[in-house]
Amino acid sequence: MNAQAQTAPILSARGLRHSFGSTEALRGIDVDIHPGEVLAVMGPSGSGKSTLLHCLAGVITPDAGSVTYQPGPAVGQSVTISSLNEAGRSRLRLTEFGFVFQFGQLLPELSALDNVTIPLLLNGTRRKDALQRSAELLDRLGLQDNGTKRPSELSGGQAQRVAVARALATAPKILFADEPTGSLDSLAAENVLTQMLQLVREAGTTLVMITHDPRTAAYADREILVRDGAVAAGYQVAP
Amino acid sequence: MNVAILRLALAGSRSAVGRLAGIMAGVAIGVCLLLLLWGAADGLAQRDARGAWLRETGGPAYQPPVDGDPHAASVPIPLGPDTMLVARPAEHFRDSVINRVDVAALPDTSARIPGIPAPPKPGEYYASPALQELIQETPADQLADRFGSFAGTIGNEALPGRDSLIVVTGATESEIRSSNGGAGLVSEFTTNPYGDNALAYRTAFLAGGLAVLFPILLLISIVSNLGAAQRRERFATLRLIGATPGTVARISAAEAAVPCLAGALLGIALSALVRPLAAEIPVNGTRVFIDDLATDWTAAAVVAAAVVLSAMLAAGQRTLGAGTGPLGVTRAMPEPMPTPRRALPLLAGFLCLGALAFAAGVPELRSPWWEIPFMVGGFVLIMAGLVIIGPWLTLLVSRAGLRFARSAISVIASSRIAATPSATFRSVAGLVIAVFVVSIFAGGSSALRNVGVPAAVPGVLQPASVRTFIDPAASPDAVDALATQVNGTAGLHATVAYGSGGYGTDESGDQIYIEAAEAVWLGLTEAPDAGTAVLDAGFLNAWNREPVVASASPAILPELTPFAIIVHTDAAPESVDRARTLLVRSRVAAGPPMSPLDDAATGSTRLVAGLSALAYVGMFVAVSISAISLAVATASAMLDRKRILGLMRLMGMPASSLRRIVTREAAVPLLTVLLLAVGLGFLVAWMMVTSLGPAYKMDWPGADYFTALGLSLGIGAAALVSTFGLLRTSTGMSVTRFE
Repeated sequence: MNAQAQTAPILSARGLRHSFGSTEALRGIDVDIHPGEVLAVMGPSGSGKSTLLHCLAGVITPDAGSVTYQPGPAVGQSVTISSLNEAGRSRLRLTEFGFVFQFGQLLPELSALDNVTIPLLLNGTRRKDALQRSAELLDRLGLQDNGTKRPSELSGGQAQRVAVARALATAPKILFADEPTGSLDSLAAENVLTQMLQLVREAGTTLVMITHDPRTAAYADREILVRDGAVAAGYQVAP
Repeated sequence: MNVAILRLALAGSRSAVGRLAGIMAGVAIGVCLLLLLWGAADGLAQRDARGAWLRETGGPAYQPPVDGDPHAASVPIPLGPDTMLVARPAEHFRDSVINRVDVAALPDTSARIPGIPAPPKPGEYYASPALQELIQETPADQLADRFGSFAGTIGNEALPGRDSLIVVTGATESEIRSSNGGAGLVSEFTTNPYGDNALAYRTAFLAGGLAVLFPILLLISIVSNLGAAQRRERFATLRLIGATPGTVARISAAEAAVPCLAGALLGIALSALVRPLAAEIPVNGTRVFIDDLATDWTAAAVVAAAVVLSAMLAAGQRTLGAGTGPLGVTRAMPEPMPTPRRALPLLAGFLCLGALAFAAGVPELRSPWWEIPFMVGGFVLIMAGLVIIGPWLTLLVSRAGLRFARSAISVIASSRIAATPSATFRSVAGLVIAVFVVSIFAGGSSALRNVGVPAAVPGVLQPASVRTFIDPAASPDAVDALATQVNGTAGLHATVAYGSGGYGTDESGDQIYIEAAEAVWLGLTEAPDAGTAVLDAGFLNAWNREPVVASASPAILPELTPFAIIVHTDAAPESVDRARTLLVRSRVAAGPPMSPLDDAATGSTRLVAGLSALAYVGMFVAVSISAISLAVATASAMLDRKRILGLMRLMGMPASSLRRIVTREAAVPLLTVLLLAVGLGFLVAWMMVTSLGPAYKMDWPGADYFTALGLSLGIGAAALVSTFGLLRTSTGMSVTRFE
């Protein structure tokens, strides 16, 4: 933790504010996330944690405040995500970030293997190479016999591991996971979580994970609690 | 059914209201077109029935010669109190055919001609309003002088359409009896418009009607299933709060019924509004009367009830089949994969038309009893076969596309098509059928255009020349007077042809004689310089295409009998009609004047040209409906996948990639089968043309065909592009994050 605190944050948010109509979802959040860190964002429903994740990932632009992405130590490498246009944010999400959602994120007509190749192909990787890389990832996640199956033929846990493989296929710097085990039973959830953590730690990928579940949060290096659109506990901005 | 639950199902958000409005609008367009099609089928039959009397040729006007005495003269059957003598000489003005009926009757005859109070007296005529207007607008020496004095207009009940050119002229009995033997005795006019060709006409129109009907039914089927995914989610909620599968199915049926019923009522009103516009479309040369397209309330009720009931049944069945449980759809419903067996109807159709093409060269095999059913059956089988084989071909192409895919777009689009080939093809099936039918007409009309268009060829009667045979009873002085009158008219020159005997007599022979100096007027390049020239009498046939050669003859013209008069014109339409008028009103003609130009205005050429124009109208209607279907199907597929497509965008897929996916999903099935539809259309046309006889050869279709094809693709592309806005909004970040 100390080592992390001494490195420059890979993602840094300052004074994030965002409203939906008259409802204030974020009320001035400051957060720093360090390279390789596994951060759990916890909070009750409606607390603003998903909005925070979407602002951090460039899915939505905050009404106020800024999000800065610093992939490396070199000066000039930082990008203020909140000031990018939609095309720029799309490119960033595609090349630098990965996403895992609670359910229903796989293309139903594609095989598991093809699902994993999609972000690689979008990045310009040759299909042959994409298939090879995807097969390796599925192997790592214990899905070597399921590559040709379609999502409807997979169990919930298997589908979620395919989603993890897809999210990690492009070797993203940051993986955003929104309730990644929320729709799974405890055994499947633990399975998915341990395999996902193993892969992100090996690759040095930063993981920002939203969860309700304290047992899931326990796998994280650090956790913050969001309540009423503000960080309520567990976090202190580095000087 | 629980009323509260039904109300809950029908009560909707803004998107539900939009979906219901979409269903209503689509059904309204479909019902409107169905009623117009019904009206057109009914109206065309009425139109043809009103014009049936024009086909009447009557019974014989002469007693046959006494048995065993071939030289005995025929005895005229006298006019009676309930008969009239009728002749139907060919009459043309510019490039139009005028239906002319010459009649002679006793003053107190009880025989009646449809549309007029009594047969006209000699020298008088009754004309259709369109012809009378034309007569009034045209100088008399080009048209009016052919008919006499105006007695009145023919009533609409005897006119096929508003633009029909019909004239009933009064004549004396002797005038009609001398008109080349074409007279008949009539006591009652026929009411059968098609004669022996009734089956062929009805089946041709049925086949054309099916080609338009298919896209309409497809549209109704597609729009009534709009937003199925959202509905399934709502039904799952209803199941969660206690509704049984049967209740949900009934709710689904009721939910489909409400917008379909509203759409059907709107469609009935819409059809009444657009009827005058539809009546402006010319069918085989004339616009129909607006009332012809009207349908009675029974038809409207039948169409509305059929559409609503079938939509209800389909919706209920789909909901039951989807197995919607409390937590959503409980079992995946993969599309059944099409198999090669889908090629069978297409092959059967080819066998039918192939048999026809083969039989064309074997006269003893030919018979309308099997040829007509085989032609129509083959056409319908191939049309249906295209729709049936489409999903299988789409599947094959998409699988090949997936194997060779290099980009995310092609992987996603090919996988989607391979998983749902029938649904994907359905969205473009209407376009395919429209293109197929018009390709047949374009191919067929190219063959008939080749036959009909005359060209100026040396040794053949010139295209803008007009000729008539001379009544053997006419005096040579009268013939000379006519020639002088013609030669005194600007743009005309008369040549009198002589024969060994008068026209129609046993002595006439098969050669005609002219002054050699006249040869140049007739386009005879190989002819003696002076004296008398002799040539084959076949030269006078307007349809003759074989050049003849004129050679010197010792014959002396004044010793021969005037046989025909040929009027060379400067090819100006006014000159041609002046020549026609002069020949018609002369008292020396043994029959109507004829010109090679007339070929282009008569017979199958004009019929096919008229049907081709109708086919283009049909294509436009079918393409427009299909474009709506394509847009609705694309939008529906997008809405059903908006969560996953939205998540793809959230993960960084650019909106342009989504547009390319959607475009490819429509383009692959369309292009796969479109080329096949064009190719099959021309192949079917070739088979049909070949079965007509060796004189018919196909040619490249005209520019109008390629324009129509381009326009169809353009309309399809526009329909697709129109859905891009929906794609952008339904997969926007602000929407997706709540999915």
